[in-house]
Amino acid sequence: MFKQTSLVAAILLSVTQGARALDAPIMGSVQSKCSITTDTPGIYGNPTPSVLSTAAVDGGIEPVVRFDVISADYYKAVITHPQDFSSSPTLTDTVVWNGAVSVSEVSDPLMSGYDAAKRVYNNVTEFDLTVAGTTWFSITSDASYGFDKSWPAGSYNAVVSAECIAL
Amino acid sequence: MLLAYSSYSCSEVIFSQSANASAFANQWTMLNILPQQAGLTVSNVVYKYRVEKLAADPMVVAVQNENANGSGYIFRSVDDWSGVPGNNISKVVPVGAIPIEAWGDGSIEVTGIGTVEDPSVIYTYRYDTCFIPTTPDCPGYEPPLSMLPVFVYEDPLEDEMIQRALELQKLQEEEERIIQEEEEEKETLEKALGLANTTLLAADSLALYDAMFDMSSIPATYYTSIPGGVYTEVLEYNSGRMPDNKNARRVGLATQLKHEEMVNSQYDK
Repeated sequence: MFKQTSLVAAILLSVTQGARALDAPIMGSVQSKCSITTDTPGIYGNPTPSVLSTAAVDGGIEPVVRFDVISADYYKAVITHPQDFSSSPTLTDTVVWNGAVSVSEVSDPLMSGYDAAKRVYNNVTEFDLTVAGTTWFSITSDASYGFDKSWPAGSYNAVVSAECIAL
Repeated sequence: MLLAYSSYSCSEVIFSQSANASAFANQWTMLNILPQQAGLTVSNVVYKYRVEKLAADPMVVAVQNENANGSGYIFRSVDDWSGVPGNNISKVVPVGAIPIEAWGDGSIEVTGIGTVEDPSVIYTYRYDTCFIPTTPDCPGYEPPLSMLPVFVYEDPLEDEMIQRALELQKLQEEEERIIQEEEEEKETLEKALGLANTTLLAADSLALYDAMFDMSSIPATYYTSIPGGVYTEVLEYNSGRMPDNKNARRVGLATQLKHEEMVNSQYDK
């Protein structure tokens, strides 16, 4: 009895809905295969009144950023060392900036070749991440004020920009 | 039910890591690195070192552990530095859960031209404190069959109740002795006082007597002398025949007949 009723209902439904269209959704999500982490925040040392430097010999600490890539040859690391302070006392003279980015630690010996293959322009350094794994990049930054002029007292902050760009 | 289970189970899984196995040399014995815990398994090998070399030089570095249960290596991670400049390397190598018995001597083996500086090799491991349930706290613990129960001799006189009873008895005896001594002392004192106050008491009695006599409250016969002497008893019994009561003859005969009937009845006569 139940089967018969269902069959009739099915026939009725097929007749009444035969002209309608249906959109079936497809969903998906993509997880990033590259992640960036600040491994060590940097600190400016003040070895002389006119110099701020992250070098250890100058009493500073070099910032370190870590890139983790799951797939090789899909990403490049773009790291920009600072050319301006994000916050500082009022400066009335020019500031001369210098900086560099290098591979400081690897999880695969082949990553040690990144330094030789890096591209540098302006204050930007690019590395092709051709090996899956983890690479640590250390950034040096130093700033000189005026012509051997003393920095005004206060707090100085700068930012290193690190990006993972898909190739 | 769940609470009862959780309170019973005292098993604890310990996660920890070893010290730097290569702190003093590029070869080490695992006996000195891992704690000798039953059921311990190594999960990861974390190592780092710095390579000093020229980029063109060939160099291969292997961090490895021999297989204690056979030949070859139970763990071996090879880094080929040939053709690349030296650098710092840091690796975490998961190994699953290899039991401690399989881990043989470890080493950092360098092949080629170059040196390994500041090496660090650390093993992360885990173990269950009740992997072998050797204590009653562990679930599944069974006491050894050979363990005989230990009987501890206890002197019954050392029992607290008996000790208390003995002390109570001792206190009672002491109290009785003190009471007896006090009574004896009291009697002695009364005797001494009696002797000392006889005259005083007699004078008081005489004064009271005189006062009462003056009030005539004591009858004069109170002082009448009764002649003393001995009153001897006088017993007198006149023997003779006491005749039967003739008026009660019938009753007496019936009584006698009844008596004889009762006596004879026990002989079935």
